[in-house]
Amino acid sequence: MKEKLNAIELAAAEAAATVTTEAELQQVRARYLGKKGEITAVMKGMGQLSPEERPKVGALANEVKDRLEEVFSDRLQSLRTELMQQKLTGERIDVTLPGRRGRMGYRHPITQVTEEIVEIFAALGFGVAEGPEIEKDFYNFEALNIPKDHPARDMQDTFYISEDVVLRTHTSPVQIRTMLNHAPPVRVVAPGTVYRRDSDLTHSPMFHQIEGFLVDRQVSFGDLKGILTTFVNEFFGEGIDVRFRPSFFPFTEPSAEVDIQCVICGGDGCRVCSQTGWLEILGSGMIDPEVFKSVNYDPEIYSGFAFGMGIERIAMLKYGVNDLRLFFENDMRFLKQF
Amino acid sequence: MKVTLNWLKEYVDFDLDADELSHRLTMAGLEVDAMERLGEGLDSVIVARLADVRQHPDADRLTVCEVETGSVTVQVVCGAQNHKTGDLVALAQVGTLLPGDFKIKKSKIRGQESCGMLCSIKELGLGDESDGIMILPEDLPLGQPVFSALGLKDIFYEIGLTPNRPDCLSVVGVAREVSAMVAADLHLPEPVIAENDSIAAEKTSVVIEDPDHCPRYAARLIENVKIGPSPDWLIRRVEAVGMRSINNVVDITNFVMMELGQPLHAFDFNLLRENRIVVRRAGEGDKFTTLDGQERILRNSDLVICDGVGPVALAGVMGGLNSEVQDNTTDILLESAYFNPVTIRRTSKRLGLHTESSHRFERGTDVDMVPLALDRAAALIAELAEGTIAQGAVDVYPVEIERRVLTISAAMTSQVLGLKVDADDIHRKLTSIGLKCEHLVGRSDGAVSVTVPNFRPDLEREIDMIEEVARLVGYDHIPVTMPLSTLACQQLPAHLTLERKVRNLMARLGFAEVINYSFFNADCLDKIRLTENDERRQNVQILNPLTEEQSVMRTTLVPSVLETTARNLAYRSEDLSLFELRPVFQPVHGSELPIESLRLTAVLCGRREPLGWAQTDAAADFYDMKGVVEALLADLRITDLTWTSEHDEEFYHPGKSCALYKDDCLLGTLGELHPEVIFNFDLGTSAIVCDLNVEALLELGGGKVQFKALSRYPDIQRDSAFLVDTEVTAQEVFEVLGRVKVKDLESIELFDVYEGKGVPEGKKSLAIRACYRALDRTLTDEQIQNLHGKLVNAMQKEFGAELR
Repeated sequence: MKEKLNAIELAAAEAAATVTTEAELQQVRARYLGKKGEITAVMKGMGQLSPEERPKVGALANEVKDRLEEVFSDRLQSLRTELMQQKLTGERIDVTLPGRRGRMGYRHPITQVTEEIVEIFAALGFGVAEGPEIEKDFYNFEALNIPKDHPARDMQDTFYISEDVVLRTHTSPVQIRTMLNHAPPVRVVAPGTVYRRDSDLTHSPMFHQIEGFLVDRQVSFGDLKGILTTFVNEFFGEGIDVRFRPSFFPFTEPSAEVDIQCVICGGDGCRVCSQTGWLEILGSGMIDPEVFKSVNYDPEIYSGFAFGMGIERIAMLKYGVNDLRLFFENDMRFLKQF
Repeated sequence: MKVTLNWLKEYVDFDLDADELSHRLTMAGLEVDAMERLGEGLDSVIVARLADVRQHPDADRLTVCEVETGSVTVQVVCGAQNHKTGDLVALAQVGTLLPGDFKIKKSKIRGQESCGMLCSIKELGLGDESDGIMILPEDLPLGQPVFSALGLKDIFYEIGLTPNRPDCLSVVGVAREVSAMVAADLHLPEPVIAENDSIAAEKTSVVIEDPDHCPRYAARLIENVKIGPSPDWLIRRVEAVGMRSINNVVDITNFVMMELGQPLHAFDFNLLRENRIVVRRAGEGDKFTTLDGQERILRNSDLVICDGVGPVALAGVMGGLNSEVQDNTTDILLESAYFNPVTIRRTSKRLGLHTESSHRFERGTDVDMVPLALDRAAALIAELAEGTIAQGAVDVYPVEIERRVLTISAAMTSQVLGLKVDADDIHRKLTSIGLKCEHLVGRSDGAVSVTVPNFRPDLEREIDMIEEVARLVGYDHIPVTMPLSTLACQQLPAHLTLERKVRNLMARLGFAEVINYSFFNADCLDKIRLTENDERRQNVQILNPLTEEQSVMRTTLVPSVLETTARNLAYRSEDLSLFELRPVFQPVHGSELPIESLRLTAVLCGRREPLGWAQTDAAADFYDMKGVVEALLADLRITDLTWTSEHDEEFYHPGKSCALYKDDCLLGTLGELHPEVIFNFDLGTSAIVCDLNVEALLELGGGKVQFKALSRYPDIQRDSAFLVDTEVTAQEVFEVLGRVKVKDLESIELFDVYEGKGVPEGKKSLAIRACYRALDRTLTDEQIQNLHGKLVNAMQKEFGAELR
């Protein structure tokens, strides 16, 4: 009987190894381990054995059974693995075909640059203020120390709606509106659309500016340099040279233009910077005491600085755009690039 | 303002090279916009003599010249007519690169060899006019570079002056800045006046009737002048600053204006009726012809210079044709005056007549420069036009303009600049630009008293002088610091956060943002079929538009967005999804400023999905746009919306458009474009538009998020298809289903709408999927049956719906 069991085990293992499908394996298993299988048959014949032999053979039969169960289960596993392998080998796609796409959306580069600038100043503790695009002469000019009949009005060609209402020529009126509504200290940037009566290669009748100002006790020109140098380094990158040079704005005194090292040529001189190595990007200055008077701030106690920049100009430098008009033509081939 | 290096050196001794000067001027606030090096690279243009000039054998208008350079003789073919044997000329040798990238090569012209070119003034960049080639003075050495031989090598600077610096509208003014930079003295011209026997005050008189507008008027009489061409040096100076040479007397007045900043005017004395000058206001409506030949209609606010009878000059702006200096003029009355800046500006602005003279007067000239400029010009006229100067200047100056005296404190200066300066620094810096300074003793803040000369009308307050100190110290030397400021929370205002959100959502939903001009031509409102009485036809007009196309502020974004669409379609971008989020402007009766309100207009046309192997080729339709609007509103947490096909917009297809309400608030409209609008904008394809009131979205949006507990029990779905009349709308069905109280109903989706085969005429099949789930237990089949039955009953009762 012992020999018989060993022979069955050998035969069963061999049969299991040769099957090629799961179904065949099940049949082989049934033949040996099933209720009517050969092992069962051997177990049934155990009654004829002597009481001494019976437990030994019984134990052996169980061992064989366990070993065979393992053989079948291993074989089943390997058959399944083979099958999956086979299936996977047959299933191939061209992964280089383009993916299934929806429509892509884009925010206008002016929007993106505006937000980027606002974020930098927000991180420096500046809030955001807004004002109307159609503005009273008072806010756009008078309160900013630009009286009627002053040559400074020639600096900005103005669209008029009536004698006293204009399309704002800069975002500076937001300074006035904000200061009239808030007691110092204030720290605010004001992005917005502005208009000048000028249209050629380098001028658009509508463009965008961002204004910023800070008023507190003991604010100095050095602080103005600090904030704007920080901005330039955040926006254009560390190590970009900045220079401040005297200029004139009716609403600031002292006034400064801010130039950065040309981002196109690195300061060597090129067409973009007119061979100077410098690009003018900002107007700024200490807020003029006259402006403080028109918003009822006491210039003896408070001082502050203000600055303004053209967003299109900054965007052109950032992205290397060579034609201002592209921003308003809204050609998809342009918009898609941002 | 234009200046040249050599000209500056006549008033101040300095040794800065061309680039260094440019940099220093820029950093002192006199921004150098352009720099031109006259004669640079032109050393190969040399002085040469025409040894022989003969007719070209094969060309009537050409000559063949033998040209001696001192070392060799070369043959040059020349097209000019003004030269003859023996003349000294400017020879551009082979290899020279003339201005305008014109390279001189050896060539053959009609069979005759030509080794170089004989240059005209224009070709050398020395002037705009050229009548033939340049004939040089006889005493120049052969073979020398022409520019050095003539002393013409020079650097031209074009300075972009800010309006606060009228003092630098003169070469002397710029030289004063240079003198401060290099700590050298400034030398003003010192004219020597040799007077004749006549006495000016006996021959003429000056009366100022309106001293507020003309505080000072001085005149000199110069007799027996000979009007003629100016000498070369004067022509070059006048042309260097961008003016045209007219004749010796006019050139001198222009030269002195450029040199000293004081505009002058020369009258033909014999054309002045009664030989006298009266300065007064013009009569309202008076007609007067200025030097440029234009007849001007004057107003009472204009200041005029009159003779004994009527106007002979528009004060400070332009002289009159009736008293112009002409070739036969013999006696000159020379005017040097100071006018009120505002008066000059008003007249100049009103007449659109901007001259070098008005430019200076309206910015403020130096009243103290009046006599020096007068004498300087008189002396030059005597020298260059052979005139003799009558004794004495007639100088009417009833009320002397006093020099301002200001105080500047070192403490305040240090505080404003963030740079430690003391009274000595201030004294030194301000003295260097011609201000008279005195230390104020007994003040603890280091104060300096400053007397401001009249050439600096911009220095009115302490802060103006603080700026001067900063400028002279150099902004570079002010330390970079960070402000010490009180902390305050500076959050983005809520509506701006939402506006950003809308913009980001639209981009995420596949739309490209466009920015169009805020102005348009009101005609485009017809193109979108606005009715005659539509509010959007009331608009804000620009008084001085650049073009008719940009004359009215937008009251709707729709036309601009459609124009942008058409332009992109023309560029063959077929599948477009664009949006614009910008304000529109609506006038308000009784308010000076219009209302500015944000709108969102989007357009969708072409394929639903971009062209691709795995994409659908179907065209986008109404429901694509509706899905976008729904997603937008869902993200803004605006719920319980009403969609209705009732609306007033005429630019939509009436059957495929709708309005969107939240309660009674109209949020916007959307729909397919009306075929006429498609035609009007030349789109050539159907397009879907939505036009939303962003102000309303911002008002309603941003609702709070409230968490709802999740059930841990399984959901059970029931699908039912109902046959209803085709007129029944989805919204009606949802309203009815929504009114039924069904506990544990989690959601209802409409997942199929079908008309056609298998469905009777006049009916449609709506398939809904209801999903049931309780928070606390698994629902039984029976319970579900019961719940779902309520929905089915409601459908049967309200719409006579049959279950399919």
